[in-house]
Amino acid sequence: MTTISHEYKRVFVWEVPVRIFHWVNFIAIIALIATGILIGNPPALMSGAEATNQYWFGINRFIHFAAGYIFTLNLVYRVFWSFMGNKYANWKVFFPFSKKRRKNMSHVLKSDILLQNLKNSSFSNISVGHNAVASFSYLIFFILILLQIATGFALYADNATWWFPKLFAWVIPLFGGDALVRLMHHIIMWFVIIFSIVHIYLVMYHDWLEGRGEVSSMFGGFKFVRKERVDIKKELND
Amino acid sequence: MAERIVVDPITRIEGHLRIEAEIKDGVIVDAYSSSTMVRGIEEIVKGRDPRDVWAFVQRTCGVCTTVHALTSVRAVEDALGIIVPPNAEMVRNIMEGVLYMHDHVVHFYHLHALDWVDVVSVLSANPTETSRIAQSISNWPKSSPGYFSDVQKRIKRFVDSGQLGIFANGYWGHPQMKLPAEINLLAVAHYLEALEWQKEIVKVHTIFGGKNPHPNYLVGGMACAINTDNPGGLNAERLAYVGQLLQDGKEFVEQVYIPDLMAIASFYKDWGAIGKGSFGNYMSYGDFPTAGYNSLDPESFKFPSGVIKNFDLSTIHPIDHRESTEITEFVNKSWYEYTGGDNEGLHPWNGETNIKYSGPKPPYEHLDMDGKYSFIKTPRWKGLPMEVGPLSRMLIGYGHGRKEFTEIVDSALSKLEVPVTALFSTLGRTAARGLETQLVANWTVEFYNTLMSNIKNGDQRMANTKKRDPSTWAKECKGVGYMEAPRGALAHWIVIKDGKTANYQQVVPSTWNASPRDPSGQMSAYEATLIGTPVADPEQPLEIIRTIHSFDPCIACAVH
Amino acid sequence: MSTTEKKQDTYYESIIKNGFSRRDFIKFTAFMAAYLGYETSAVAQIATALKTTPRLPIIWEHYQECTCCSESFIRTNHPIVADIILDKVSLDYTLTLMAASGHQAEAAKKATMDKYKGEYILAVEGSVPMGEDGIYCCIAGKTALQQLQEAAAGAKAIIAWGSCASSGCVQSAKPNPTGATPIHKIITDKPIIRVPGCPPIGEVMAGVIVHVIAFGKLPELDRQGRPKAFYAKRVHDSCYRRPYFDAGLFVEEFDDESAKKGHCLYKVGCKGPVTYNSCGSIKWNNGVSYPIQSGHGCFGCSEDNFWDNGPIYERLTNVPGFGIEANADKVGMVAAGVVAGAAAGHAIASTMSKRKEHKGRVDSGKDIEKQVD
Ligand code: HEM
Ligand code: HEM
Ligand code: NFV
Ligand code: SF4
Ligand code: SF4
Ligand code: F3S
Ligand SMILES: [Mg+2]
Repeated sequence: MTTISHEYKRVFVWEVPVRIFHWVNFIAIIALIATGILIGNPPALMSGAEATNQYWFGINRFIHFAAGYIFTLNLVYRVFWSFMGNKYANWKVFFPFSKKRRKNMSHVLKSDILLQNLKNSSFSNISVGHNAVASFSYLIFFILILLQIATGFALYADNATWWFPKLFAWVIPLFGGDALVRLMHHIIMWFVIIFSIVHIYLVMYHDWLEGRGEVSSMFGGFKFVRKERVDIKKELND
Repeated sequence: MAERIVVDPITRIEGHLRIEAEIKDGVIVDAYSSSTMVRGIEEIVKGRDPRDVWAFVQRTCGVCTTVHALTSVRAVEDALGIIVPPNAEMVRNIMEGVLYMHDHVVHFYHLHALDWVDVVSVLSANPTETSRIAQSISNWPKSSPGYFSDVQKRIKRFVDSGQLGIFANGYWGHPQMKLPAEINLLAVAHYLEALEWQKEIVKVHTIFGGKNPHPNYLVGGMACAINTDNPGGLNAERLAYVGQLLQDGKEFVEQVYIPDLMAIASFYKDWGAIGKGSFGNYMSYGDFPTAGYNSLDPESFKFPSGVIKNFDLSTIHPIDHRESTEITEFVNKSWYEYTGGDNEGLHPWNGETNIKYSGPKPPYEHLDMDGKYSFIKTPRWKGLPMEVGPLSRMLIGYGHGRKEFTEIVDSALSKLEVPVTALFSTLGRTAARGLETQLVANWTVEFYNTLMSNIKNGDQRMANTKKRDPSTWAKECKGVGYMEAPRGALAHWIVIKDGKTANYQQVVPSTWNASPRDPSGQMSAYEATLIGTPVADPEQPLEIIRTIHSFDPCIACAVH
Repeated sequence: MSTTEKKQDTYYESIIKNGFSRRDFIKFTAFMAAYLGYETSAVAQIATALKTTPRLPIIWEHYQECTCCSESFIRTNHPIVADIILDKVSLDYTLTLMAASGHQAEAAKKATMDKYKGEYILAVEGSVPMGEDGIYCCIAGKTALQQLQEAAAGAKAIIAWGSCASSGCVQSAKPNPTGATPIHKIITDKPIIRVPGCPPIGEVMAGVIVHVIAFGKLPELDRQGRPKAFYAKRVHDSCYRRPYFDAGLFVEEFDDESAKKGHCLYKVGCKGPVTYNSCGSIKWNNGVSYPIQSGHGCFGCSEDNFWDNGPIYERLTNVPGFGIEANADKVGMVAAGVVAGAAAGHAIASTMSKRKEHKGRVDSGKDIEKQVD
């Protein structure tokens, strides 16, 4: 057993496409939430103005739809990259159901979330890419936003001239009408908001706890791993 | 031996009504009125936002398509202590007046007339003679011989096509059909004209309520804001449109409906002695407020309220909707269950609607009259059955000695040369409906003028929204809303708890008239007035239909 | 319509097309005349009638309804209803207008069902109660269900009038005490045209019938079985108040300044954005107005289940199970608050619980700090 040093090595985890995806995603979601909340609850502007001189609500909706397109294409691009990118970007990591990943999940839950101080903690429990809980949350997030995209484009379809939104027209009869679809779209937003709060908190929390540059990794692409970890791998490979 | 006949479905009414009658020696000796359709609206509105309930209960009926909405907003406003602005009151009055004109004219021509008018005999009429008669009784412009001859040709073409449509299997040639062919032609021409006319008058509802049937109402007032300086609200154009429609409507009532009614009635005076019924109790809640629905001055209501007992027009008894011993409903013969036993009468604030069918399994030949036999509950006022409707309103106005009422009734009686007692009859009911339409048409123009002068004086308010927010409501409150619907006295009782509808009960005109017997065996109006009616041919129960139609049944209303 | 009208075959033409001779036709009319009890002199007349005026037989049933669909139908302005029922169709059965009652009425229906088997249109107003074997609606001693199945068997197509027949309407709203059920959930082997609305616009109802007569076929339907000609657009997408929506000018409460200016009713619950109907384009009662034009929001009366999509004066449905006034935003805000609070709590707890682990890292970090200049 190697003794634990405090030496770290830099490892390249997030490739440029992943980082671009992440921040486009971030900006699009913020825009969608902001414009979506306004669509849901427009503020009172008791003005004497005539409609001729104003179009803010139309613009707001336009931003929402434009952001919706960007958001959707960005996601498609990320799915594509999950077949092309490195092992941390691969689609498989989002299905953390192997024995090893399940073990990792229970570790993260016990140690990081429930804050137990585990006796035999080993650095092999520290993930390099997404930890198992995180990747599971991304799977749920993925399903949520697929629903959000489906309901969003279904609502949009009737006004669209392009074939793409029309692909989602079947969603309306499935739920018996626009009213329920719109309500779902609205409610899913709240799940997205809750996901974002938890996600941002946990990213910062891990950065604080582990000190491996979690936050900056999504900017620069690098994280840090203990030297020993690299050594073991080397030993094994040798 | 009495013969039991069944008339089901009764057509040219609203809803599903079944009459079973025992006939002995050509006269009805016993009769049962039953409705065989239920929806459970009172159960459905429970738990809903009281501000929404008007829309649900409005769907009780699309024929008297505003009355439940109006009664409901009145009930909720009563519970919450909301007083609506005068303009809203006038708009509601105008809409109600328009409903009367529409409903009564459609009833007369399209629902009732084919009981008296023989369509097939039109083919043998002399259009020139029809034209002469028409011009002698009215100034209505469409009355040339050419006009009537065109109508006749149209009917002939129709009959020759071999497809008789709605006229197939009618009671043509029945011995009780007594009009000359020329009057039949007149009536059929006006059947068609009224069909066109009726779609015009309802436009008043469209202007104020956005559509008809089922225009929109609002707890606190009306949604149609006034703005005399903006196309976004009711402005001079919209209001002038209403004025024009009311004027045209009134003309049709005066120049077509009333002359036709009198002309036809004069051939059926014998029906002034049929359909009288045994109890002679008549009730009206009063309606058409001119000084606010909450006004304590009974004189400020165009239709006065009260009860007449046992044909005695000299005493009018007052009604209290809140008093638990006055209006009660029974289910001893109706397919419901009360938790405290079915022979009890419940005041609507404590009312229950637990549907429980116990009749025969369909298909059936007869209902079991010893058991329960209808989905209509049985309402009683101080334990007495009441007849409600146009006749009751005219009698109560007459009994109060209101000049408008006595004048119009007396002049009709003298024109027809029949005694006052002829009012208590099938003919009386049908005539009263026409007479009150004439009054209402005049009043509606008055309401319109009041609205216009209000606006002119600078009052443009249309809704009182102070109490629309549920946080301003008492934790628990209850209210009652009432009105005079075209078919009679209508009221809704609501109990509100924690901002939700905790109980809701509708007691509807046709519930009063069409209900089964009460625990003491007293019949309601339909059953009681059928007794004693002669039936020439039990195979063709035209006489039953005549008396039943004289009430203008609305059975979706009655059951709800 | 008349310019593009494909002339429909008269009975004469259709008989000839079906391979019968002129003589067969005369024989048929003679038979018809005898059947109807006419003298022989009427044969020629009937022959002309059938040559020139074929009228589509319609049986119009009433089940659980309020008759406002019939009322709306008779309000149609183009064509007016007298022209429809006298010249265009043969309305052989309808409780609202037909002269005959009781068994005479049922016999008239039966005659049409026999004579025009496979040819007549069945129009249904009202839902069918399926609870308790259907005893909540009986006509002539039979349940609505039995009546429907009999009448549907020989129908060429079914028109489900209004929200009652096409989605159950008010009586099917929770708790649906009678098991009210729309027609397409019961009859599955016939073409069904759903014409929703509470009621549908009169001109729309007439339009559906005129389409069948003038073009000789059923109108094209959307995925939900509604004629595209009338239900392809949301009320919102043809609403004249739309510019106010886009400008963000909203009525905040009834009869306020904005209400008087005719601003958009979105915030007082207008469901125009989620409702497919022709109210904004055809409007009501010959184009006089429609709910929004008269100041009240649309409450979605042509949408499935709309009674339970309320409250009427809220734009979105309340979320069930969260008490009074629980709309999605209130629940969402509380949930987000709870989650944020939990995160803050977690942050505080972790500074204590993970103190040792964290301190080790800080210490080693400090060590390194000393090693760098
Ligand atoms: C995270 C992603 C998204 C969020 C949080 C979001 C949020 C919202 C919200 C809150 C509303 C208002 C709903 C209401 O109260 O009625 C809304 C409306 C809408 N959203 Fe989204 N949305 C998202 C993605 C999308 C996407 C991808 C599309 C696709 C184009 C889309 C299209 C729409 C449409 C068409 C509406 C209705 C707007 C209208 O007709 O005025 N949304 N959205
Ligand atoms: C709306 C807010 C956000 C959303 C929806 C979001 C979503 C996501 C998603 C989907 C991933 C997985 C990326 C992939 O594998 O492609 C991810 C990873 C990550 N995000 Fe975010 N993100 C948000 C905000 C942020 C912010 C503000 C930060 C920090 C500055 C951040 C830092 C990270 C990091 C470090 C990872 C990788 C962490 C891990 O492996 O668990 N995110 N985020
Ligand atoms: N009965 C009854 Fe109604 C009326 N008038 C309502 O209250 O018809 Ni539909
Ligand atoms: S759809 Fe509405 S309007 Fe038509 S019958 Fe049903 S409740 Fe009445
Ligand atoms: S009033 Fe209703 S339908 Fe019209 S623009 Fe506003 S939200 Fe849309
Ligand atoms: S409530 Fe109905 S009438 Fe039209 S505007 Fe809405 S669909
Ligand atoms: Mg009741």
